[in-house]
Amino acid sequence: MKKYEAVIILNPNLSSKVDEFKKDFEKLLSDNSFSIAKTEDVGRRQLAYSINNHNKGHYILFNLEGDPSKLIELETKIKYNESIIRHLFIVVKEHKGEDSSLFTESKNKKSEPVDIEEEKERKADKPKEDQQIKEPKESSPKKVDEDGEE
Amino acid sequence: MSKYELPIRFDHKDIDVLKQFITETGKIIPARVTGISAANQRKITKSIKIARFLALLPYTDMHQ
Repeated sequence: MKKYEAVIILNPNLSSKVDEFKKDFEKLLSDNSFSIAKTEDVGRRQLAYSINNHNKGHYILFNLEGDPSKLIELETKIKYNESIIRHLFIVVKEHKGEDSSLFTESKNKKSEPVDIEEEKERKADKPKEDQQIKEPKESSPKKVDEDGEE
Repeated sequence: MSKYELPIRFDHKDIDVLKQFITETGKIIPARVTGISAANQRKITKSIKIARFLALLPYTDMHQ
């Protein structure tokens, strides 16, 4: 038996069906004799880079305990699940008791009631942001050169 | 050392800590610049690379 930390990034379009997915996934885990110590539903987050043309992802964190041999079977099933954009299992010596920083961050965001307004602003800002990004890109190679000289 | 906030155990989910050790372009800053111990630098490097895989940190600023 080993202890695992799992991070799973779901397709953001299926955010509304997260509870269904969680139930299915927990069943899959228990079928493979994995015990769940803790789950953290971080929610939708901006990805640092686009994965399969998705700019956002729904992060779910798990603390698990189970057999390494069963994990291989589990991963093959995850591979063919199209709602999962990316997944990672990491062996840990001991589980952290506290909430992860990602989870607490998302909690704090949820507590702010400005969410809906912010999203509207983001949508409005999007074309402007693209232009802003393009401009520094042109100058970025120069910056690298300067750093190299120093 | 006091320049950076170092936790006891590094975590790939702790982005605010890791962000101190990458440049604006997303590169990992070498230990000779940050001045932290070799053991800590190895741990940070590892967790930054995991965080990159999970799209929590960028590999570069040239994405897309």
